[in-house]
Amino acid sequence: MSHLLEAVDLFKTFRPRRAWPWSKKSVALEPTSFTLEAGETLAIMGETGSGKSTLSKIIAGVEAPSGGELYLNGQKLNYAQSKRRCQNIRMVFQDSDKSLNQQLTVGQQLEEPLLFNRDMPSSERNQLINSTLRKVGLLAEHAAFYPHMLSTGQKQRVAIARAIILDPQIVVADEALVALDPSVRAQIINLMLDLQKDMGISYIIVTHSPQIVKHIADKILILYRGKMIAFNETERLLTEKQQPYVETLLHEHLTNHSQITGNSSAKVTE
Amino acid sequence: MDLLDIRNLTIEMDGPHGRVRVLDKVSLQLKEGEVHSLVGESGSGKSLLAKAVIGVLNPLWDVTADRLWWNGKDLLAMTPKQRRAITGRDMAMIFQDPLAYLDPNATVAEQITEAIPAGDVTGTFLHRRVDRKTRVANLLHRVGIRDHDAIMQSYPYELSEGIAQKVSIAIAIAHRPKLLIADEPTTAMEPSTKEQIQRLLGKLAVSQNMSVLLITQDVASILPATQRVSLLYCGQMMEHGDTEKVLERPAHPYTDAMIKMSLQAHAELAPKSRLPSLPGAVPTLRHMPIGCRLGPRCPYAQKQCVKAPLVRHREAQSYYCHFPLNEPES
Repeated sequence: MSHLLEAVDLFKTFRPRRAWPWSKKSVALEPTSFTLEAGETLAIMGETGSGKSTLSKIIAGVEAPSGGELYLNGQKLNYAQSKRRCQNIRMVFQDSDKSLNQQLTVGQQLEEPLLFNRDMPSSERNQLINSTLRKVGLLAEHAAFYPHMLSTGQKQRVAIARAIILDPQIVVADEALVALDPSVRAQIINLMLDLQKDMGISYIIVTHSPQIVKHIADKILILYRGKMIAFNETERLLTEKQQPYVETLLHEHLTNHSQITGNSSAKVTE
Repeated sequence: MDLLDIRNLTIEMDGPHGRVRVLDKVSLQLKEGEVHSLVGESGSGKSLLAKAVIGVLNPLWDVTADRLWWNGKDLLAMTPKQRRAITGRDMAMIFQDPLAYLDPNATVAEQITEAIPAGDVTGTFLHRRVDRKTRVANLLHRVGIRDHDAIMQSYPYELSEGIAQKVSIAIAIAHRPKLLIADEPTTAMEPSTKEQIQRLLGKLAVSQNMSVLLITQDVASILPATQRVSLLYCGQMMEHGDTEKVLERPAHPYTDAMIKMSLQAHAELAPKSRLPSLPGAVPTLRHMPIGCRLGPRCPYAQKQCVKAPLVRHREAQSYYCHFPLNEPES
């Protein structure tokens, strides 16, 4: 049985801008291997500059890896196979304001991936757009709206709709949840979990919030200065003893605000 | 006496669709040396409140208040010149994105030097130069930067987010303000950096006897040292009071929802279970509900809620709700 996604020794190096051909390259990501199964959520954690965004970009095909292989459903996925990649791996970005085209209506934005990847008549396209909009909790009428007419939460929903409209197997979310308001964030997390249940999507989320990770991730991959220092199931990473760096990263924020956690648990017992 | 005393502050602006009330009778009191957190989602008017205190609102907007007092003096009755003098001497503000707010063309040392009041530096020409430099170094030490020489010579783009925020705090406290307004200073920062900045603000409030008005969008990111907290929603005050009391026994459904939605509270939930959240979205300015603006989203709303509730008090907390939660048994 092959894995949904398997990375074998993926790495990325950069050549400094002014350098001799023989001088050393700077390493953004050291050889990293991991696997992802269908319907699972993988969280990539790390500080700024740890290479987590680089890894997610390599998976989504935004950047070419310097070496290593990526297997999708057991078949090798080359960087140049953009058609196969973009039908199966889609990306959601941090700032929906910047990632949505302000000059197109929501319907037009959702139509674009269909025009490029599917051969279907326009009536079918419209039907699919309507049903996808409803799936993410919007109305069919929203297709005629421009992004500036929507609230932040709705815009993020449109971004997710654009990602799932091709029925992908994997959705990569790069910091898609941090900048949202608390109530909107809870709604979007619920939406992502519902979609995972209904459509069996796998998520790869990049974040530095241990709380979100604990809630939605099945596996955690931790990077430190481009090096993978932990890759395991969430349960085991949280319960078993880990390296000091992993422990601080996962438990950091919890100790600081034990005040709030303590109180809410007190309220449950009331 | 309160350092800052705001009673029934209302801000109205004329839009293409008529008059909109963006802040609706908001009251807030701030004592000297107190850390006060102002919590609200985007569009709740929390930044407008801060701007009204500093006095940098659009002059076309109508600002009315029963009281907008600073140290017992009425800010609204002053001439712009008098008001500017007070603001410049006693208040300072820091913002969310320090790298956007620092001058990219000047070194850190130049920018901090500029913020040091001219009257502080004394002595002869040469002595003044040395004095300025030691003052800059001292300020950097005070915000927790030990390696002051390297930082002083760098330009903002060379700094990490956390250090840049510390530099902006150093600039803000250079003239020893009585009030520091921090407008979402840690949103979108890494947890470890966030924690450092929060600890620093708490420490400065104690050591400089400076009040801090911390504006944030999440109850989970208020300072651990916060004594009092206020919650704003759509320009209306929902609840305010002592932090412990408010977080322990929230009277307002909105406070309750914010606490349940905060990420810290998820620790007990089963992984992948649905998170509690308020239905719907924050209404736009054009479509503000009448009465209590939380009404359409509130799980406890009833007919009465179309009339704006008056303030009620309970021990050390005040709230604006007809049907409060966690009432003590009588």
